[in-house]
Amino acid sequence: MTKVDLFSGFLGAGKTTVIRKLLKEAMQGEKCVLIENEFGEIGIDGGFLKEAGVEITEMNSGCICCSLVGDFEEALKKVLEQFEPDRILIEPSGVGKLSDVLQAVENVKDERLVINGVVTVVDGTKVKMYKKNFGEFYNDQLHYAKTILISRAQKLSHEKLDEVIKLIQEENSEASLVSTPWDELSGAQILNVMENGNQMLKELIAETACPQCGHIHDHEHECEDHHHEHHHEDHDHHHEHEEHHHGRECSCGHDHHDHHEHGHHHADDVFESWGIETAHVYTEAELKAILDELCENEKILRAKGMVAGEEDWYYFDLVPHEAEIRKGSKDVIGKLCVIGTHIDKEAVKQLFRLV
Amino acid sequence: MAVPVYLFTGFLESGKTALISNTLLDEGFNDGEKTLLIRCEEGIEEYEEKMLKQTRTALVTVENEQDLCSDLLVEFDRRYEPDRVMIEFNGLWSVNQFLEMDMPLDWLLVQILTTIDAQTFTSYMSNMRSLMYDQIFASEVVIFNRCEPEMKKSFLRSNIKAINKSAQLIYEMSDGSINDLKDDELPFDVKADFIDLEDDDYGLWYMDALENPGKYKGKIIRFKGKVMRRPEDDEDIYVIGRLAMVCCAEDMQLIGLMVKSDHAEQMVDGDWLTLTAQIEVIFDEEYGADVPFLIEESYERCRPMKDEIVSFS
Repeated sequence: MTKVDLFSGFLGAGKTTVIRKLLKEAMQGEKCVLIENEFGEIGIDGGFLKEAGVEITEMNSGCICCSLVGDFEEALKKVLEQFEPDRILIEPSGVGKLSDVLQAVENVKDERLVINGVVTVVDGTKVKMYKKNFGEFYNDQLHYAKTILISRAQKLSHEKLDEVIKLIQEENSEASLVSTPWDELSGAQILNVMENGNQMLKELIAETACPQCGHIHDHEHECEDHHHEHHHEDHDHHHEHEEHHHGRECSCGHDHHDHHEHGHHHADDVFESWGIETAHVYTEAELKAILDELCENEKILRAKGMVAGEEDWYYFDLVPHEAEIRKGSKDVIGKLCVIGTHIDKEAVKQLFRLV
Repeated sequence: MAVPVYLFTGFLESGKTALISNTLLDEGFNDGEKTLLIRCEEGIEEYEEKMLKQTRTALVTVENEQDLCSDLLVEFDRRYEPDRVMIEFNGLWSVNQFLEMDMPLDWLLVQILTTIDAQTFTSYMSNMRSLMYDQIFASEVVIFNRCEPEMKKSFLRSNIKAINKSAQLIYEMSDGSINDLKDDELPFDVKADFIDLEDDDYGLWYMDALENPGKYKGKIIRFKGKVMRRPEDDEDIYVIGRLAMVCCAEDMQLIGLMVKSDHAEQMVDGDWLTLTAQIEVIFDEEYGADVPFLIEESYERCRPMKDEIVSFS
């Protein structure tokens, strides 16, 4: 299997810097080939590549008025035959569309090729202007990315960075973002986002879900078999629901619709999970106040997150009436996710100062 | 009365807005005329309200390329009755298409100016030459800004001249001063009577000779080049030169000189020669200036060059 990682982004965005960091810090020991269709301002120095055992293939003229797609497929096939690498990194022309490059890789139709990272690097200081004036190809690069790396984030104020993230999310709300300055991150952290995306929401759902039936239970309405495992909340409420616990073995399948008639919730159709990425910076006191308010919100069942502070990063865990904050290491971007019933997302955003 | 139109082209962030603002504020340019400023791109720089008021300038914005059409300009002309028009063009729109468009009857395009950020020039030229080409090919004046003292003027100049021979070039340093960029040393001895040109230096020599033909008059030069025959030339004339990328790999152009030779009839398109010739100067009607002209002394046939495309560095 050969993993293919694509790095699109306009000229000067910092593609070369990212590729170099990844090769150096996260892809050592792998047989990598780099296909360049751009003549970089910095240029990846040949010496380092040789040392790292990276083969480099340059494609001619990054011209956009001639179709390059044909050449591109050829280059890919050749690389695959010649080197059988573990990984092919592609730096396409900065003024090309990411969707075209993706298509070109698909067109090779070689089952050894697996599209892995689909990255777009954007210069944080220029997103607004480029989005407005470049239109099509720039938005295409944002739209089709699975991971968007923001460069020069350290040059932006917190407010500006928030704004940049909003602009990016307008075009692509699914992509995982990296907004922490790269020199504060390891190559492995960046590669992890590229390959696995934002794991936190999945983790939170897994943590909160009932280990037996896989659903998420309200503390006010638990799966009878194992409601003692979910005892992080007051049991007083349970008596209200005694009736449901009689005569029926709750398997938490989809068969007890009668619950709904009583206005109770069932996991599948009422509980929802929701997450957001943010570069917003919080003080510990600010975060504590926010969480204290959030944990009294009866619609929130669980929440979890990690956000940037002025110096440290804060990781938090929240269950009803209780929130815990601890310090932790930097991550690629702040994240928070919540599980609950009828979550008012706008209200949560507002609470976290994200509007 | 004719309404002069000034077209400002150049890529995003190349300094168009600053140039236009400074021009409007220039006392020599401003005699109280009403200016209509048509903005087709919104970059980081913005026009100051105060400046616009002070210079009697009306600002209109055109957001989409297809909106910029004859009818719109006629409408602008009627509504604003400008004495003159300045257009801040969009770096991604086609200048060629704009030039083909009919303008209101009394509007007259008098000058095209292009701004280029010297610091991103190399990268932009290698990666999106076709876009740059379109912004440059029709310009009368090309202004390089944000120049640094260590930049090679010959590289900047030659790349523009390969696209647009007649453009006047201005170099503005990062500190705002003008034309402080020194002429750099050419990689061959310009004082010698015999110049034996390395393959890589042809582009620089050609551009310098084109601009200063007198400097090389009477000298002997030896270089490798490709032959081109043109039907319009006299029997004893062939053209020799090298290919330069004009717009992209699909659009090459021979940059060459005419050679007077007794063996011209033996030359075929695509022949490669190592030519030794004397440099003379003649007046070229079409170009409207003196150009170098070669008189063959001797030649040897040679293999085609592996990388025949000319570079200017």
